[in-house]
Amino acid sequence: MASELHLRVVTPDRTVVDRKVAAVSFRGIDGGYGILPLHAPLLTAIAHAGAVRITETDGKQAVMFASEGFAQMQNNVLTLVCEAGEMVTEIDLPRVKAAEAKAREKLANLDKLSEEFIKNEASLRRALMRELLASKNSGAGSLR
Amino acid sequence: MANLKELRGRIKSVASIAQITRAMEMVASMKMRKVQGKAQSFHPYTEEIKSMIARIAGRVQSEADLPLFRARAVQTTAFFVLTSDRGLCGSYNSNIMLELRRQVTAIKELDPNRKFKFYVYGRKGYAWLTRRGYEVERFFVEPPLDKANFEAAKLVGQALVDAWQSGAVDEVRIFYSRFQSMIKFIPTSLPFLPIATLPVTVAGAVQGKQAPKLELDFMLEPDASTVMNRLLPRFLETVVFDAMLQALASEHASRRMAMKTATDAAVRMHKQIKKVYNRARQENITKELLDIIGGASAVE
Repeated sequence: MASELHLRVVTPDRTVVDRKVAAVSFRGIDGGYGILPLHAPLLTAIAHAGAVRITETDGKQAVMFASEGFAQMQNNVLTLVCEAGEMVTEIDLPRVKAAEAKAREKLANLDKLSEEFIKNEASLRRALMRELLASKNSGAGSLR
Repeated sequence: MANLKELRGRIKSVASIAQITRAMEMVASMKMRKVQGKAQSFHPYTEEIKSMIARIAGRVQSEADLPLFRARAVQTTAFFVLTSDRGLCGSYNSNIMLELRRQVTAIKELDPNRKFKFYVYGRKGYAWLTRRGYEVERFFVEPPLDKANFEAAKLVGQALVDAWQSGAVDEVRIFYSRFQSMIKFIPTSLPFLPIATLPVTVAGAVQGKQAPKLELDFMLEPDASTVMNRLLPRFLETVVFDAMLQALASEHASRRMAMKTATDAAVRMHKQIKKVYNRARQENITKELLDIIGGASAVE
């Protein structure tokens, strides 16, 4: 049987990934998903900010950041439609740090029940996730 | 002699105008190419969102509660108008605004009690509306339309959905120039909310797509209405963003065309004045020659 599936990661700005991979795991809104080739058809929402781990066909691991979106598995094609997404190697750490600082600063002065608070909390979470991924990546190169 | 000097000045100014308009033309066509590139890389995203909606639609109807689809009696109509920030783009803005006025009067004739709210992107549209005494509900300036990033679309989409959900408006329409070709832009009014009025209605999306056969039996987690209610705002954002890109492409194409016409006119004018100038100069020389010859013959 097929030992690979096609992964497509689509964001408003570009198509980030469009190739064959061996396995993918990501975080849905109700828990983690691991997708192997020929997974049953599926449609779900992706958590606000999370890591997508990709096992390449040659067994190597790659990690990417993906924020709020949807995942769809169909005909052995997994499509992730996200608002933002990039490979870990592409994360611009200084910019992320700046975003984190900005979000923290805003959060400090906001009412905890306001919508603004929720929005900023989400952007803080995105910044932290990116940071986490980037720092892991820059280390020994191993992820698990 | 004064006449000659004056002509020289005019030749110079016309030439520099031609140079400026030519530069603006080139800038506009470059910007347009950029917008088109953006539209191209944005396309897959829209397609995916649409296909997901199409896929999920059949599952939803029976079990879910989808507030964004529910139409109600319309008392207030909101228009989201997309215009440019800058002028010098031919009839681009006035076309949109005239068409908008036509629609507003048409609706008013049918229903005199109808109220209108305007949401505007672009300084030109804002100026037009305020000058004519329309009240602008919200004027978007940040981020500038020119940047055309998805954030802007999110912001607008959110504002429109909020207004609609709070009951402040009962119907939302997007008003923008659809980019037909390099020389044709059609002022378009697109029904936005409630969603049932969108051209890509759920049923339409299912029929309209000759997608590779959809596997209809699939897992949906956590459940159809949760996913659908998350999906719909994203979908609306793509609609807004698409309208923005179309409007931007139209604006730049329109400016390119206007500047091309201006350049051509300036070049033609330059030629004409040059001709007049040369004739006057020649005349002067002839006159001087005659004077000299006359003087010389008088001495003899």
